[in-house]
Amino acid sequence: MFKVSPLRKRQVIGSVIGVVLGAVMFYVLTLDSTEQYVSIGPMNTGHQELSCFACHADARGNLLQQIQSNISHAVGAREDGVDFGTQDVTVDNCLQCHDRANDRHPTHRFKEPRFKDAVKEINATTCITCHTEHQEERVSVASIDYCKNCHQELEVENDPLDISHKAIIAKKDWFTCIQCHDFHGNHRYDVPEKMSDTIPLKQIQQYFDGGADPYGDNKKYKALSQEAWLESLEK
Amino acid sequence: MKVITTYIIICFSVLIVSCGGVPEEKSESAGEEKVFAVDEVLEMVSKENDVTRTLYTKAIVGKGKLQGMKFDEDWRKDDVEAGPLPALFLRGVASSIRKGPVPLGLYLGSDFPVNAANKFEGKQADLFQKIKKDQKPEFFYDEEQKLHTAMFADLASADACVTCHNKHPQTTKTDWKLGDVMGATTWQYPKDSLTYKETVAVLNAYAKGTVDIYMAYLDEIEDFKTSEKPEIGDKWPEDGKYLPSAEVFLDSVKKLSSYETMKHLIVSK
Repeated sequence: MFKVSPLRKRQVIGSVIGVVLGAVMFYVLTLDSTEQYVSIGPMNTGHQELSCFACHADARGNLLQQIQSNISHAVGAREDGVDFGTQDVTVDNCLQCHDRANDRHPTHRFKEPRFKDAVKEINATTCITCHTEHQEERVSVASIDYCKNCHQELEVENDPLDISHKAIIAKKDWFTCIQCHDFHGNHRYDVPEKMSDTIPLKQIQQYFDGGADPYGDNKKYKALSQEAWLESLEK
Repeated sequence: MKVITTYIIICFSVLIVSCGGVPEEKSESAGEEKVFAVDEVLEMVSKENDVTRTLYTKAIVGKGKLQGMKFDEDWRKDDVEAGPLPALFLRGVASSIRKGPVPLGLYLGSDFPVNAANKFEGKQADLFQKIKKDQKPEFFYDEEQKLHTAMFADLASADACVTCHNKHPQTTKTDWKLGDVMGATTWQYPKDSLTYKETVAVLNAYAKGTVDIYMAYLDEIEDFKTSEKPEIGDKWPEDGKYLPSAEVFLDSVKKLSSYETMKHLIVSK
């Protein structure tokens, strides 16, 4: 069909092999059974059973349509570009399973103007600031003294703690907050009244890294499993 | 070889173009006339909020307390059998709005808040001082967030507001009196003008938020273990141990607020 110059023969064979290998890889790596090889890292604690599609929904249109739309957008022939391959993962994806009425720090609260400076320090308007996925851990926040960004002026009337909250804040012991208070407030447990009874930081760090839950396993709300999430979508 | 390359490029280009692009998402309101300025809409929804909160504060919390019903800031906790205080009621409405598709933000703040996290800072704190003096709303565009923002005075409209805030263990001010500007509601929306449909969507999002949080309160009552459960139906706490159903509550809100809102909507049509 095509005449190939003998000098280009190896180049053509290489290209054909490349195309065939590419097609095989595309087929194999898009199978459900090979998801672990495509993932950029192991799933976080509690997410091990999730399939890719739970967060990475297919983008609208097929690949060729997406290429055309984005080229059109790049040359100014279309107002908006489109997602390529899969849709962006947003807070809404997380909330479909983790939305709880009792969340004491819901992400939407931090969109208010008065949290502007705090958000510059720690962007609490999005889950991934503290829960970066594919890290095989539970909490990925850089430093656990984040309470300092909003609670500098906290005073607790009839403070039950043996060392007052005011004194703790004055000493800038911001690492101690998390030893009594879980950030989202979903655990049912008795908050310690003595500093000596608080959860050791080492245990907190282990929990963040994916270990046992030091606040206990009695929670008011449980996150949806993948099956329950799919059922909720059908409803 | 050049021919082959050209041939491949042409084939690829034809394939891409012939596929067509992903259909562009046009909002439902595309092409419709923008009939309301954002300030006008936020003022409208804020008035609905005033009516709703006053009704909840006076007719549910105020009268309910006289019947022995309890209202608590920790009303969500398992060991607390109570309903939401008015500020928590508003936060519940705000949370519900955030979960919906309408990009409306609602927040409550003060210079003497019970919860320190609700203290105004920066521009909001400055504008709140003006609001305290003249009780007039303040509008501004938040450049960083790219959101049109409005602040409205939140008045001590019922005895329950004053007594609860003055007696609260964590209060930062103990001499509140009826009519005081206790705080301000802050509302945000991304567009500078709205179509009729978008305006109705904003009002509906607020109404849905009201129903959601009220329903959550009724659900909590369902789980009461030791406290007496009020009868839920068409009667109000002023008649005894009763609470209106969500439908009855929302109907009353609509009756009280709909005239003003309707006037705005009809005049624009």
